[in-house]
Amino acid sequence: MSVMTQQQGDAALPPRPDNGAELLEVPDGWEAREVEQFLYREARLADENDYDGWEALWTDDAIYWVPVDGEGDHPRTTVSIIFDNRSRISTRMKQVKTGKRYAQAPPSNLRRIIGNVEFIGGRANAEGGVDLEISANVLAFESRPRGNTLWGGRTTYRLRRVDGQIRLAYKKVVLVDNEQAVPTLGFLI
Amino acid sequence: MTAIHPAGEIIESEFASVAVKLDHDGNAVRLRVEDLRTGRVRFLDALELESLVWLADGHLTQLLDPSHERWRG
Amino acid sequence: MTAVVPSPSDVVAEVQEGGSRYDRLIQPARVHGTLYTDPSIFAEELRKIWHRTWVFVGHESEVPQVNDYVRKQLADQDVVMTRDKEGEVHLLINRCAHRGLQVCDDKAGNSSSFRCPYHGWTYRNTGELLGYPYNKGYGGKKQLPLGMGKVARVASYQGFVFGSLAEEGPSLEEHLGAAKGEIDRLVGLSPEGKVSLDAGWLRHKTRSNWKFLAENETDGYHPQFVHGSIFGVTGSPIGELYSDNSTAVTRNLGDGHSENDLRPEFRGFAEPMRWFGTTPDRVPHYVAAMKEAHGDAADRVMIEGAPHVMIFPNLFIAEIQVFNIQPVAVGECVQYSTAVQFDGGHELNMRMVSQSIGSVGPAGMLLADDTEMYERNQRGVAMADPEWLDVRRGLHRESVDENGFTIGTATDETGMRGFWNHYKSLMEAED
Repeated sequence: MSVMTQQQGDAALPPRPDNGAELLEVPDGWEAREVEQFLYREARLADENDYDGWEALWTDDAIYWVPVDGEGDHPRTTVSIIFDNRSRISTRMKQVKTGKRYAQAPPSNLRRIIGNVEFIGGRANAEGGVDLEISANVLAFESRPRGNTLWGGRTTYRLRRVDGQIRLAYKKVVLVDNEQAVPTLGFLI
Repeated sequence: MTAIHPAGEIIESEFASVAVKLDHDGNAVRLRVEDLRTGRVRFLDALELESLVWLADGHLTQLLDPSHERWRG
Repeated sequence: MTAVVPSPSDVVAEVQEGGSRYDRLIQPARVHGTLYTDPSIFAEELRKIWHRTWVFVGHESEVPQVNDYVRKQLADQDVVMTRDKEGEVHLLINRCAHRGLQVCDDKAGNSSSFRCPYHGWTYRNTGELLGYPYNKGYGGKKQLPLGMGKVARVASYQGFVFGSLAEEGPSLEEHLGAAKGEIDRLVGLSPEGKVSLDAGWLRHKTRSNWKFLAENETDGYHPQFVHGSIFGVTGSPIGELYSDNSTAVTRNLGDGHSENDLRPEFRGFAEPMRWFGTTPDRVPHYVAAMKEAHGDAADRVMIEGAPHVMIFPNLFIAEIQVFNIQPVAVGECVQYSTAVQFDGGHELNMRMVSQSIGSVGPAGMLLADDTEMYERNQRGVAMADPEWLDVRRGLHRESVDENGFTIGTATDETGMRGFWNHYKSLMEAED
């Protein structure tokens, strides 16, 4: 944690998004199959660079986080590969849709496997409900002119039902090799 | 780095790992230090700890020489 | 075609028979593609540049406490930056004097001494050999005149720590030259006159020769093209700073250093904190602290903003980000990047972390696109024809400023030419 953060006191720093709120029991009303189907759909939209479809999965209080150095330090005081709120997700999607986001123009060719899905618990959300927290392994194969890259990691998701639809409120991807230098990560991991 | 451990709070680096806690079994409180890599335990009383504080840096450095005690010969 | 653009025959110096290899490869208006692709040139760069000149390694704020240490990279050398019990910063080469093992494995820690895991040889965090197990095998204690390797010279400027593997050479201050003033400008934006680089580092593996990065950092010609996508969707005014209408200048600071000096633009607007994309009323504590620190000069400091300076060979200060570029091989390097943190500037610090995450690193909305260019550039220069890269932009309209520095317009390649001049002088030196 930075010296500056200590100077301004913990009050100014919001809780960590991953473990700042208490882990509750797995909330009722979630079936493994529908959850897995949602994860596979999210993965496919990302693989196929369906930016609008992928963006529509997110809630308004979304957090999309790819830390460095294992689980990462507090993302407000230390740098991460990605730490997007809903607005920055939108900016990221607008940029790539210009067709001149060269790191992703042409888009990567991608396929990923999602597996080892576990129900972890529940997290209270700002809307007064409890999000389902699950985690899963991801192994993604990326092909670009620079070469092929294999990305592996453990992803934590938080899901919420909004108007009968499953939506994504939180996604944290801890890359296996995030303590090393990694190449450009232009696609949606 | 600290963590909850039966032997106390852990102080560790890539070079050593010890657990420390206050021991109240004697007639006065002592510091119990356990080398978690070997299980060896040392109790340090108040006077011994005060002596450590006053130990000249050079003497402390001598203790860090691996052949000083542990790997003598 | 316009007649004022010099043709190669006007500006390419006649290369005399017997001129150095680098006379042929580096000319005033063009440089040869093999400079980026030839492994023998890379090996020579390691000897003559990376193992000789001052190289940025890290920042004192990464080892704030006595006995803190952190692993760093100096080109191909794995280096441990330590702070000893007297508070002095050292750069040790991470290699045991016994069998050559890597001594420290953790990325960071706190320890007065390091013990090699192989045979227990133990070193103080100054590199001095403190002892070894079973000393009779060496005739007793303290019998060996050995220690961990050390970076021969270590010096810091405003907390930025540099190392030189050469025993002798220009001092750090001589090496930094005019670039010192740019570091001073950055530090002057802290109300306490001090910056920290303690927000962690992103590590971006880049399949490109390191020189493409060094050249690009003050290339004001590329932003509107490479970064047009993000400028467009965010309505960023940055692109305008690098247009043909801009009053900003590209300055060759000498010694291989260069900057895009945006101050003329910001002076024109005369709005404090515009450089940061905000207004004084939104960061009142910072502005008050700056007025207390700088008095009447505070407005000028807050109007002119942070530097955009490339310090040869590997430190790039991009306003609120710091980059540390380290070569790995002729076609590969790593960009380490972090957010500047101003001591006493907490209203700005979290925002600088957030902006840095958005902009730099492997997924950054600016730097991932630069990196795509570096990598395509590396693939491009492997092609046979044309053999040369053109660096003549603005050569005919350069001028000399009031301090004697060569300047070009915001989009001119004045910085690159300064880089190559210095590079050539180092590469022509004796081995």
